[in-house]
Amino acid sequence: MKNEILRFEDVTFTYHTRRGETTAADGLTFSVREGEFVAIIGPSGCGKTTLLSLAAGLLSPSSGTVTRSGSCGYMLQKDELFHWRNIEKNIFLPLEIKRQNTAERRRQALELAKKYGLGEFLQSFPPQLSGGMRQRAALIRTLATEPDILLLDEPFSALDYQTRLNVCEDVSSIIRSEKKTALLITHDISEAISLADRVLVLSPRPTKVSHEHELDFGEETRPIKRREMPQFSTWFELLWRELNA
Amino acid sequence: MKHEYSAEHRKYLGKRKRNLTLVWILRLGLLALILGVWEMIAALGWVDPFLTSSPSRIGKTIASLYLDGSLFYHIGVTLLETMIGFVIAVVGGCVIALALWWSETLRRVLEPYIVVLNALPKIALGPLIIIWFGTGSEAIVFMTVLVGIIVATLHMLSAFLATDNNKILLLRSMGASKFQILRKLVIPSSLASFISMLKVNVGMAWIGSIMGEYIVSRAGLGYLIVYGGQVFKLDLVMASTCILCVLAAGMYFLVVLLEKLIVKDAES
Ligand SMILES: Nc1ncnc2c1ncn2[C@@H]1O[C@H](COP(=O)(O)OP(=O)(O)OP(=O)(O)O)[C@@H](O)[C@H]1O
Ligand SMILES: [Mg+2]
Repeated sequence: MKNEILRFEDVTFTYHTRRGETTAADGLTFSVREGEFVAIIGPSGCGKTTLLSLAAGLLSPSSGTVTRSGSCGYMLQKDELFHWRNIEKNIFLPLEIKRQNTAERRRQALELAKKYGLGEFLQSFPPQLSGGMRQRAALIRTLATEPDILLLDEPFSALDYQTRLNVCEDVSSIIRSEKKTALLITHDISEAISLADRVLVLSPRPTKVSHEHELDFGEETRPIKRREMPQFSTWFELLWRELNA
Repeated sequence: MKHEYSAEHRKYLGKRKRNLTLVWILRLGLLALILGVWEMIAALGWVDPFLTSSPSRIGKTIASLYLDGSLFYHIGVTLLETMIGFVIAVVGGCVIALALWWSETLRRVLEPYIVVLNALPKIALGPLIIIWFGTGSEAIVFMTVLVGIIVATLHMLSAFLATDNNKILLLRSMGASKFQILRKLVIPSSLASFISMLKVNVGMAWIGSIMGEYIVSRAGLGYLIVYGGQVFKLDLVMASTCILCVLAAGMYFLVVLLEKLIVKDAES
């Protein structure tokens, strides 16, 4: 069995505001192993983003433990590219923040960008790119520091359906060919099935893992191909029932 | 990139250009009309030019100010006071806004004071300023700063606080320090607000300096206006006001020029 990169052990988290307290997670336990692509689905407002913030270390649990070995890269729903920086400078941003802005690192990041079709857009500014291209640039930015685990918070939900399928395909192939570990949050069941090795289903708030499935698509990792396979609809029905239980 | 535009697009561009020419012709025409009517009213004696002055009399007044050497002296005094006050107000406002962004506690502590200072008509402080700073340029600069700095602070603070939370989250996930968030995100994303604050503060600076000169001064355009009013030399009042219009517009266009420079720089 491969090393665990991320582990949640009986994690509880409560938000405190002036108007009261909200327990977003209660008794959350799961782990992500190296090289694995895990998708988490859950009803809206259940605490998915909270879970990722805990994983990224932006929040610390009220009780329980979150252990992460290695660095993480966070990708949000919108690309959050800085409009006053061109694509190249956007991709270098995490290098600047982490003080890894060496010629070698920059070269690697640029190579990645070129490999995945951003070569001719490096000097363009974000508003000049399509939504799909921008999300791809956001992924390359996330990969620039070579994180050990990628945390993806509904990275496709701001895109229209057509673009969404394409970007999903891109992101999947990039993550697979770079052999990255990924934790994807989504409320789209078919997205989870078409991308992941393993799917966790969350209960409504305060959330915990209610079901867990190892998907059986064998070596097939391409989302489009998976959608055509017979297991796809079986998984869809099962997860749909569990999500709406 | 060089484009060969389609005939339709060239037609559209031509139309826009003709439209712009028309706008300029009308603008200048309107100015000529106003000046012409004004001159005529005075020349035909419909209204006593003693009360309304006239373009030609304004011209003569400016010429005589120029000839006795006081024109550029008064312009210089006012311009210098306005500029110094403007710069101090802008820089000070930005620094205070940064401090208030940095510390929420400080922000909450100072909030009522800022609200009161903002609402206070600064001219009420006139007597105090005279006692503290005397009747020289220092008092006028102080008045200019006072009028501008609160506006600059509030304007920039609201820009800083409007920084997109998701972008802050993104930077924090990269492990950014507060200082890095400030430098990489908060400041660059407030650039547009900074320019609009400059534009507002050009106006504020002139209000401050002229108000200051009304209260204390012995030189400058504000002084000429007050003096002209006291001795009923409406020509002098009008001439000074016209010069003021030109200077204020000039300063505003400098800011617009700066805006073009900065925006172009950010996109190349
Ligand atoms: N900063 C906060 N302060 C107080 N309560 C919060 C905060 N952030 C989230 N919450 C509450 O915690 C609960 C979980 O929020 P979270 O954003 O993690 O859910 P989510 O599953 O990501 O939702 P969505 O499907 O809308 O993305 C919600 O009820 C929300 O109102
Ligand atoms: Mg969310």
